[in-house]
Amino acid sequence: MTDSNERIQLRVSNNKAYVWDVDDIATLRSKHHICGVLTGTLPHLSQQNVFLGIPLLLLPEEVVLLVENEAAVLVDDPSAHHTPTPAALETWNTERKKAMQEQIALVGAKEAKEAGRGMTEAAIRKRREREEKRAKAKEASSVAEGIIPQDTVPAPEPPAASTPDRPSTPSSSSYTYPLPIPSATLYPWYDPSANTYTTVPSAQRAGIWTYPSTLLERARCAVFRDLHDKGYFMGVGIKFGGDFLVYPGDPLRYHSHFVATVIESPVSTLMPMEIVAHGRLGTATKKAHLLCGWDEEKKEVSHLSIEWAGFG
Amino acid sequence: MDQHPSYAILSPFISKYPRAAGSSFQAYNDLLYAQQWRDLEVIDLPKCSRCGFRGRKPDTNAILSVVPCSLSESLSLSWIHAAFEEFGGPQEVYIAITVEDSSIVYYKISQGIVKPPL
Repeated sequence: MTDSNERIQLRVSNNKAYVWDVDDIATLRSKHHICGVLTGTLPHLSQQNVFLGIPLLLLPEEVVLLVENEAAVLVDDPSAHHTPTPAALETWNTERKKAMQEQIALVGAKEAKEAGRGMTEAAIRKRREREEKRAKAKEASSVAEGIIPQDTVPAPEPPAASTPDRPSTPSSSSYTYPLPIPSATLYPWYDPSANTYTTVPSAQRAGIWTYPSTLLERARCAVFRDLHDKGYFMGVGIKFGGDFLVYPGDPLRYHSHFVATVIESPVSTLMPMEIVAHGRLGTATKKAHLLCGWDEEKKEVSHLSIEWAGFG
Repeated sequence: MDQHPSYAILSPFISKYPRAAGSSFQAYNDLLYAQQWRDLEVIDLPKCSRCGFRGRKPDTNAILSVVPCSLSESLSLSWIHAAFEEFGGPQEVYIAITVEDSSIVYYKISQGIVKPPL
């Protein structure tokens, strides 16, 4: 994976890395054992959090691991959009209008079909009479103004054209039709080549990414890497009072066996109350609690597992 | 305290590590009388500045290691690793956490990543 073009593009905005491509999300999960969190919701249902979609938001530790493993690159997304040329803008606008018309036509066809189904024969006859009457009136006025020669027969109005008796509100029945959403990578003015960073330090120097910048952040990255290298999958640990939830395989298939707390150095303070709280919660939820220590001098990660003793 | 039968056994460590005297005395008595451990022996743990205990639970054969501490102490990972070292590197060490009201709670700390029992 030396070719940076084959690496997954992590789009960075406001110090957070997102993945927008579903195929990339699948690759991250199956090949790299990285899950992230789906965060995309619907503009009209922003409160719902059951079915979330793209973008996938990655934990900062996941980002550092992927970039260090040369599996992904960081893209400064806002800067990757350059000022479009007038020609490019024109093409984009033409395509946009075309797409809009296609959508309107789709909706129109659907509504005409639904409206037609609901009308009685008498209503259809009445409508046809009205349309003929209006056509005649129009013809007469045209003739009077000398626009159309009298011997020309006017073509009947297309049924899709707007008529006064069509309901002005859309039909209440729900229907689905595909809406093509163009990907940013298809825009001619989207060029991330000058804003792509293949290493964490280069992205940090460019000012688009800061993690890891403190001892605790470096410890979290080291612990994440150690557990990942041992074959575990990691998720956010907040629900069980830790830094990571540790799964023996894909979280969709396994329950987590461990809750991990990261301890930034061998001499950082550890209160006995933390051992009690973590140990008791872990035992009650059939998980062991891991104290994952980082020794920056030795560049070593060590693990201790806590459980209630079963007596006392 | 010096009238208590346990005092004679613990007194060298109580004078050597006065700060750990309370938790050591409480944990020893709990293991001996409440938990009814057998073959209980007292071990010097200089790197932890206290004494620890080794013994067997009733009706079991495994020798378990216990290090006492008070709830209000500040520990660290290096302190826990030192306890493992002083006990001769067992797979697990029990930590006895004591409170002034005579409550005591034991937690098992294992080296490495150990799966919880099913």
